[in-house]
Amino acid sequence: MEGLVRFFEHSGFVNATPGHLLMILVGLIFIYLAIRYEYKPLLLVPIGFGILIGNTPFAEHAGLHLGIYEEGSVMNYLYMGVLKGIFPPLIFLGIGAMTDFSPLISNPKLMLLGAAAQLGIFLTYIGALSLGFTNPEAASIGIIGGADGPTAIFLSSKLAPHLIGPIAIAAYSYMALVPLIQPPIMRLLTTKKERRIKMKPPRSVSKFEKILFPVVALLLTGFIAPGSLPLLGMLFLGNLLKESMVTKRLADTAKNAMIDMVTIILGLTIGASTQATTFLTQESLRIFILGATAFMISTAGGVLFAKLMNLFLSPENRVNPLIGAAGVSAVPDSALVVQIEGLKADPDNHLIMHAMAPNVAGVIGSAVAAGIMLSFLL
Amino acid sequence: MTAFVQILPVDLSVIGREHIGLAVIGYSVVFLSLFLLFLVFTIIPKFLTRNLRKKFQKEGGEEKTAFAGNMIQGEVSAAIATAISLYLEELHDEETAILTIKKVGKSYSPWNSKIYNVINFNRFQR
Repeated sequence: MEGLVRFFEHSGFVNATPGHLLMILVGLIFIYLAIRYEYKPLLLVPIGFGILIGNTPFAEHAGLHLGIYEEGSVMNYLYMGVLKGIFPPLIFLGIGAMTDFSPLISNPKLMLLGAAAQLGIFLTYIGALSLGFTNPEAASIGIIGGADGPTAIFLSSKLAPHLIGPIAIAAYSYMALVPLIQPPIMRLLTTKKERRIKMKPPRSVSKFEKILFPVVALLLTGFIAPGSLPLLGMLFLGNLLKESMVTKRLADTAKNAMIDMVTIILGLTIGASTQATTFLTQESLRIFILGATAFMISTAGGVLFAKLMNLFLSPENRVNPLIGAAGVSAVPDSALVVQIEGLKADPDNHLIMHAMAPNVAGVIGSAVAAGIMLSFLL
Repeated sequence: MTAFVQILPVDLSVIGREHIGLAVIGYSVVFLSLFLLFLVFTIIPKFLTRNLRKKFQKEGGEEKTAFAGNMIQGEVSAAIATAISLYLEELHDEETAILTIKKVGKSYSPWNSKIYNVINFNRFQR
């Protein structure tokens, strides 16, 4: 009888709190959005399911070693990859093996849009400080503006490990919501005439340039911001594996099997880290508000800088300011949003190739920003 | 309003010069690193094509035409990509046809094995 009572005490029905139920609802919404609307399904399905796993209530202090924050539990071991910053560089290796830098190499001035769109990171850092967050916490929150999940996780694992859950969830949620967040800002800051600007088709890029890019870019950015080396080192290694054409097997593994495995574990553990008892706080709510602000400022920063560039460019070399919005590094979602918005203004104007350039520059820019924050604050 | 202030208790007095400095320097360094990359990759193609220009000049051909021929435009790349894609799609049709051919070979199963047939029952008894 005693065993039966203990079994009942350990069950989810006894230990459930309104917080658990709320988080389960959030997890279900994530899964629904991913399957019904295909919003970042590769991320939202594991994260959503992770939220369900992390918020299935159980007796937390019974020594069952089940929770993600309980030392010795399986989930805790998997979570180490997040806490120690192991998964983000592995994800970057896969991204590098998938990324084609040709649009950027063919039109290098678009790199500046990738830099301009990091504005949200630094303004939100100031905003987070004014809301009472400490210096390292504010930097980790600001990086959400880079719209790069792995970079946000990497920086917060180093500077504010206790905030990884809300920061990662905010970053990935806003990345999934790019099609809803960015278009109103893009339309607000541009005229219809600007949205119709047709850009010159990119030139073809030689194999030599493609091989040279990861090597030169690594050395340049690595010397300036060594803190970004774990991320950019892996990104450019992945790209070299792809472009060299002699390591096809390694590139295939990096961009398929490896990134898939890491994405599953990363998504699952990030989701599970949102255990209601530690996640549902006013701090998390503030992080969500700041994250959305960061994202919007970054989008605006990219668009406005593209308009500024046009003041100095000859009419035939002008850029469509919409592509500035792709400077946030949500690859390739923000580039797709630019394409859709461009087509709305002019059904013959295909901007996707041009938008991919600031998009991949944004990946480099946000990683450099993370490296700078690390060098200043660690 | 009170609830809003409670969630977002803004206090600008905590922001010091060092914080503003970090934000300004950080943003400038991001710009600097991508600006340097922009410079390098603006110069490199010019450097790479300089040798070609010299070669064409030596050969006495029309530099401009030859040079322009070397730099394939985006539309040409798109046309080549479409041609390759169409070619590969045609190959796929053939593959589909092969996949639709039914398998003829019988797979072994003890349920249809001859040695377990009832006709052989007497032989086992003997």
